[in-house]
Amino acid sequence: MRLGTVRFSEAVLKEVEALFARYPVKVNALLPLLHMAQRENGGWLQPGWDSYIAELCGTTLNHVRGVITFYNMYRTSAPGKYHIMVCTCLPCGLCGGAEVMEHLEKRLGIHAGETTGDGMFSLEEVQCLAACDQAPLMVVNEDMQKRITLEQIDRWVEDTRAKKA
Amino acid sequence: MAEEKLLLLKNIRQQGYGGDYASYKKTGGGAAFKKALTGMTPAEVIETVKESGLRGRGGAGFPCGVKWSFMPKDLPGPDQKPHYLVCNADEAEPGTLKDHVLMLGDPHMFIEGMMIGCYAMRSTHGYIYIRGESPHAIRRVQAAIDELYKAKLLGKNILGSGVQLDLTVHPGAGAYICGEETAMLDSLEGKRGLPRSKPPFPAQSGFNACPTTVNNVETLANIPFILTEGPKAFAAFGSENNTGTQAVSISGHVEKPGVYEMDMGHNLKSILEDFAGGVRGGKKLKALIPGGASAPVMRADEIDVPYDFDSLMKAGTMRGSAAIMVFDEDTDMVEVANRTIRFFNHESCGQCTPCREGTFWIKNMIRQFGDDAGDEALLSLVHRAAGNIIGTTICAFGDAVGGALQGFVQKFPEDFRNHFQS
Repeated sequence: MRLGTVRFSEAVLKEVEALFARYPVKVNALLPLLHMAQRENGGWLQPGWDSYIAELCGTTLNHVRGVITFYNMYRTSAPGKYHIMVCTCLPCGLCGGAEVMEHLEKRLGIHAGETTGDGMFSLEEVQCLAACDQAPLMVVNEDMQKRITLEQIDRWVEDTRAKKA
Repeated sequence: MAEEKLLLLKNIRQQGYGGDYASYKKTGGGAAFKKALTGMTPAEVIETVKESGLRGRGGAGFPCGVKWSFMPKDLPGPDQKPHYLVCNADEAEPGTLKDHVLMLGDPHMFIEGMMIGCYAMRSTHGYIYIRGESPHAIRRVQAAIDELYKAKLLGKNILGSGVQLDLTVHPGAGAYICGEETAMLDSLEGKRGLPRSKPPFPAQSGFNACPTTVNNVETLANIPFILTEGPKAFAAFGSENNTGTQAVSISGHVEKPGVYEMDMGHNLKSILEDFAGGVRGGKKLKALIPGGASAPVMRADEIDVPYDFDSLMKAGTMRGSAAIMVFDEDTDMVEVANRTIRFFNHESCGQCTPCREGTFWIKNMIRQFGDDAGDEALLSLVHRAAGNIIGTTICAFGDAVGGALQGFVQKFPEDFRNHFQS
């Protein structure tokens, strides 16, 4: 995409103004601003958004790219329609999280960090989600599924695939 | 099951408690903020918190009132820098979930504590830094703040006192290191979250180089009780240097994982057996980590100790953020070490060479044990490499990873020997 061709809608720009008003200087709002850009663009930062955001909050493109690559949650490629996060950290990993991850990789035919060819599912291995008493966990988009079993995962994958067909 | 001592979770344990402002008010909520604003000077508030002996619940256990007293005392004039209070709600230490329980179940309690803190430190704007992976917590706390603006308890001229206060929820974006207070301030400024060298301490130069204090969610949730019931009533819980109650997260191989509230100094063995129902499936205990992934591991025969800051430090480990992770007799401690070092390697910010490189190489060494390719020399190399991170980094992350890894090697060398090359 050519530089200068992406921008927020007028309605979102109002939201941006309200956000800037909560901070002493505009660049302080960079993290929430990047979240907003992802939310408006299918969950990832398409080309051009980094420089647009830099311009909006009066900083350099380098600064924005540095921030995007430092934090786990900012994506520079498209996630699947269903983005799945699995915690394999202590103690989830020892209470079934590792098996959940392995099972999903096999079931979906992709590795952690990849997206299925049809763009339906993407899989991410994450660290502690602060719900360790509910292990093992699977988070689909924003929906946290607690104490999940491998059978439940199979059913969910089948149902979700059937929905599409 | 043992009785909980309820101070932080008193509302959450009530059947059907909604957590909205009306429900909170019905339980007497809001009275502490009103008392501070209309009947106490900021200095009196700080003195009261000091007297309570409250220590920070985020991990370090620094006395909260003393921290508050480091802030400049005067009301910032028009030419002076504003003061800030930042609430650390970036709970991400593996095993820790108590701040989420507080934020989701009774958000108004810690927010009231934060409002009191802002008044005491003459801050007119506070930020609540919540990790981005918890959209449910962000929404919940934002809704609570919206209610307070509607009730005119936030904004300009609150309760006719002339005091102004705004609170803003700031989402993180997935970086464990941002739970370190100076990294959090960088992140709040819109930068990569890299810990800063101290001094200057945040009370001199924090958010945007202005005087700033950072407090954990649970720490702030204690403040309303201390103001309404008095510092002595608070100090009646717990023991002398470890006052109050604590919300402890228990996970891993136990019958009833979750968050339980008890006196500071409650016996660790009793927490496992009487609160969490003991080890899952009637198995024997092998080890536990008492304070999040950063705390050195304890063997089953070492856990008959009071669970508080000082006792655990004496036992060679730490209470940290009060996250107990339990491992049964079938657990391979090499696998525990593997998951721990993978976490730390993933989350190292990369600023200091010993931590960035050390976590990477130790991860590879542990993986060799996983492939049954270890030997005695490699085992002592893990120990030495971990030791080389301790004390050589800007922030406490290096000490944490070094201490935790050395703990596994020292306490469970036989588990590593099972993975020696045959």
